[in-house]
Parts: sequence; structure tokens; C-alpha cells
Amino acid sequence: MARPSFFGLLLIAPALAMIGALFLYPLGYSLAAAFTDPQGGLSLVNFGKAYEFYSTDILFTLFIVITSTLLTGLVSIAIAGILTLGETPWLVAALRALYRWPLFIPFIVAAQCMRTFLAKNGLMNNTFVALGIMEPIQATSLLDWRGIIITFVWKQVPFVTLMLAGAMASIDRATIEAGRNLGASRLRVLVEIVLPQVAQTLLVGLVLSFVTMLSVLSVPLMVAGSQPTMLTVDMAFRINSYGDYATANALGVISYAIAGTVAWIYLRHSVKREVQA
Amino acid sequence: MDGSVSAAIEVDHLQVSYGSQRVLHGVSLSVAPGEFVAILGSSGCGKTTLLRTIAGFQKASGGAIRLFGRDVVNTPPEKRGMAMMFQSYALWPHMTVLGNVGYGLRLRGVPKEEVRARVAAVLKMLNLSGLEDRKVTALSGGQRQRVALGRALAIEPPILLLDEPLSNLDAKVRLQLRSEIKTLQSRLGFTAIHVTHDREEAMTMADRIVVMDAGRIAQVGTPKEVYDHPNSPFVASFMGAENTLALDVRPSGAGVEVRADDGSAALYGGSVPVGAVTAYFRDDIASLDDPDARIDGSIVLPGKITQRTYPGGHYRYVVAIGSRHFTVTDSRYHELDRPVGLRLPLADLHLFPNAQNTGGHHA
Repeated sequence: MARPSFFGLLLIAPALAMIGALFLYPLGYSLAAAFTDPQGGLSLVNFGKAYEFYSTDILFTLFIVITSTLLTGLVSIAIAGILTLGETPWLVAALRALYRWPLFIPFIVAAQCMRTFLAKNGLMNNTFVALGIMEPIQATSLLDWRGIIITFVWKQVPFVTLMLAGAMASIDRATIEAGRNLGASRLRVLVEIVLPQVAQTLLVGLVLSFVTMLSVLSVPLMVAGSQPTMLTVDMAFRINSYGDYATANALGVISYAIAGTVAWIYLRHSVKREVQA
Repeated sequence: MDGSVSAAIEVDHLQVSYGSQRVLHGVSLSVAPGEFVAILGSSGCGKTTLLRTIAGFQKASGGAIRLFGRDVVNTPPEKRGMAMMFQSYALWPHMTVLGNVGYGLRLRGVPKEEVRARVAAVLKMLNLSGLEDRKVTALSGGQRQRVALGRALAIEPPILLLDEPLSNLDAKVRLQLRSEIKTLQSRLGFTAIHVTHDREEAMTMADRIVVMDAGRIAQVGTPKEVYDHPNSPFVASFMGAENTLALDVRPSGAGVEVRADDGSAALYGGSVPVGAVTAYFRDDIASLDDPDARIDGSIVLPGKITQRTYPGGHYRYVVAIGSRHFTVTDSRYHELDRPVGLRLPLADLHLFPNAQNTGGHHA
């Protein structure tokens, strides 16, 4: 028994070393730094400062990320639903060809595009004015919290849709047909028969999106420069402008805590499912 | 097929294509209310396509489908008002038995207590009482298909479509459910179309059998008609008459003289096609006799016993005639290598002129 386990250890050693050096050590270091005062003692002083300066931004971040996650979920369900239950071949084909594109566009490029698209004199408003839907005087810039949410949703929908449409395609098609056969409309089939069968996949996609959006710096920085802003921008600011790693680390720990809560909800849910099964 | 409005299901020159591939070539079929029709055919013959088009899951490219006189060709499946049983059960794994069976009633706005009561009645009918709150994933295959039957019947549909619902079940449960479905059908009086590739299943359950071949209906009739009087070599071999024998039929006196390749001949008074024909027959019509026996109405082919087995009740022999082998059952014991005559009653042979012969299987 000893020899195989030794070789096993040897095989995973490089991976373990990478995780240790590139993830666990910096994580531990920043955790420790967050709880250390300037004199080197254990204290919560950095959290006090972080809360004092950035409590609004913590709430703003939560609001942005939760709203974006919910909207991402809704749009992804709609697109995956059309891909699965759609009966208009050209619409399904067009959607299938188009929806994945944002996956291959980096956040920073997406943010850049949104700047020119959502600005007061941006492409969107100009199009509306040209179409006569809107007077030039009514044009407002969406480059604030709305811009961040639009960019996040635009960027994350393809990812969640990809997972969701794959899961929907793999459920027994006959369960869908059985629902329609008994008289359920396609919308009811989607909500009552298809979604419950892919809920686990949806949850995974949304948790991953939530954590991704929580950690994006470029979008809040470029799309909405003003206050309030997201924690990533605050962290970058503390480090770049003041060299204040302590407060930045405290904000980092708060981000971990938020991400950790979501991960915990997900884990609890999947454990419950496994117990049921 | 007379176009009467009273038909429960009337399929009129139905055409279905998958892309440029035509699968149904103008199928016409009329099913009376309360009738149980089995659609029988090998895989790829279009039988499932026909059922799915009637259900609305497959678009027709031509023709009409009328349910009690109402044309539903362009009606979505949820508005056709029939129920269907699927080969894969298609139960919803996230719902309980109650949720599955009661779903159709909930869709129809039936109050919760009434749903519970009606589901309980359906489950009682199917011997599933007390399983309401069980997850369907915790049921056996037979129970699952019963739940699927309950789900279909709970809405009291005028038409039930069965898409090979018994083919995933083991033999014993299959026989049981076969008779349960048949009993319920005669009790509740719904019209049923049952797609299957199992000949015995079709024979025992259906009032009428539709044999399909390559997207067309090959023959329609009662089980006895189709079994005893197949109208083509395809139907004959599909109904189990898989042995073939080349015969020559010539007029002789009042009847005909039937002659086999090896010279054996018999006189026969029945009406049969004249000329070179191919006879299709089942193993069970053959019997053993003396090799040189001459019996009117039966042709006797001399051969030799090459194998003997005892499956119980009677012996089963393999008889070699020339290079061909036929299986015969006989209650008497015979030694191996003994010369015998294979006796085939002409009345039980299905004779088709050779021009029509599409080639049957050899025994």
C-alpha cells in the first residue's frame, strides 16, 4: 500500500506545489496582512478603515453583482429555452450562431465597446434618435451602475447559456414532449419541466458568474469611473495611490467572504441533492 | 378510410419528410372511436414518425389529420388533447408520483384536493395506491410505466398514443402491462394507437393491425386476417412465415397440381396463383410424415433428420431437405439421420407469384 500512495503523491506533487505557491501562500499572506496592524499586532483596525471608507461601495458591489447574476440567469434561461424549445428554425439557428460571441471578448474590450455604445452621444442613443424613437434632448449616458450591469450581463450570458443549453439538450426529450402532449404550453414546459431538471447546472453557472463579476476590475473602472464604485477599483486605488496594502487586503477578505457565502449556498444545495438522490 | 366524420382519428394521404428525405409517402388510415389499432413494422418503416405526426411532434409536409372531424395538422401538440406513453417512460424526475400523474389535471385548472382524489383513483386502478408521495426515480421499471400510463389516463383522454411503451420492460412485466392496458382500454373506451415492432404484442392487444413498410401501409386488417392471409411476401415474412419454397403450380383437372423442385407433387383444389410461385410458411405448419407419402392437399418433401432437441412437451427436429434446413416440432421420438417427409398443408402456405417476390429469408 505504501508504494502506490508514494507514487501517487509524487504525481500530484507538481500540481500541489503550484497551488501552494501561487494560491495558498498569497491567500494566507493577504489574510494575515489584513488582520495585522501597523505595529505588527493582531487587530481589526484595517477592517474598521475599510468599512469607514468603503461601506457604500461594499453595498454597491453586492447590488451590482447580485442584480447582474439575476439578470444573467433570466436572459440565459430565455435564450437556452428558445434554443431547446424553439420551433422557428431560422431564429434558433441565428441565436445559436450569435449568442457565444461575447465569450471570446475580454472584459476590458467589452468595457471599451460599452463606453462608445452607452455614452450620451454613443451608438445606442444615436441609433434611437436616428430611428425617431427618442429626441436628442432625452439622451442620457448609461455609463454608471447601469452600464456595469449591462456589460456584466452581456459578457456572462453566453457562458451561462452555454452550460444551460448543453444541460437542456441532454435531458430526455420525451419528458418535454410528455408535457406538451398533456397540454402544457412551451413556456410552462420550460418553467415546470425543463428548468427543474437543469437547476443544478444553472446554479453552478450563476455561482461561477457571480464570483467572476465580483473580481472584475476593468469594467467598473472604465464604464463608470465615478463614486460609488466596486471593491476591485477601491483595492487597486488603495495600492496604486497609497501603497496601502493593509486596507486593500481587508477589502480583499470582504470579497472572499462574499464569494465564500455564495460557494457555501451552492455546496449546501448540492449536498442536499446528493442526500435526496 | 371512407372519410366519415365519426372517425376518432383519420389520417388522409399524410406525407412527412425529414429534410429532403421522405419518410411517409401518403399514408391513409381511419380509426373508429374505441378501437385499438396496432402499427407494426420493422425499425425505420415510419411507424413512429406516423405516431409522432399524429401527436404533433413532427410536422406533416402534406395531407391531413382529423381528430373527430377536426383538422389538427397545424395545431400545436398541447392543443390536440390526446395522451401519449413513451418508450422511455418520460416521467419527470423532479416530481413525485402525484406530481406526475396530476400534472395534466393541474394544467386543466382542477383544484388541488380534486387532483389528489382523482390521482388516488387512477393509482388504485393501476395497483399503485399509496405511492403518491414517492419520487418516480425510486420506482421499478414496471411501476414507472404504470405511473406513465396513469399520467396519460388521468386526463381521461379520448385518444391514447402508445410509442413502444412496453419494450423496455422485462418479459413478465410486459405481459402483465399488456393485459392491463387492454383491460383499461375496453373499460374506459378510449381510442388507442399502439406502435410496436413486437408481432405478438400487436396481435394480442389490437382490434386491427396496420403493417407498415418503407413509409407506406402494407396491409390493414384484424390480427387473424393479417396473420392468415398476408397480401404480400413482406407481410407474410413479417408475420413469421419466414421459410420460403419455390413451387410450380399448373392447372390439373378441376384443381391444380403443385410441384416442388425435387419432383414431389400434390393435387390441390383451393384457389392459388398459377405459374412459378414462392411459398411462405411458418415452422409450425410443417409436420413429419413418411418420405414417400402422397397426401392430397399437402406436399411432402423427403429429407433427413439432422438434429433433435427436447424443449419440453414435444421434440424439435431440424430436417435437411437438399441444402435447406427446416425446424419441425413433433410429439414422437425419431432417430437422427432417419429419412422423413416434411409435410406442408397447401392451405397453410402463402403463395405469391415469383414476379412479386422480393426475396424471403431462408430457414
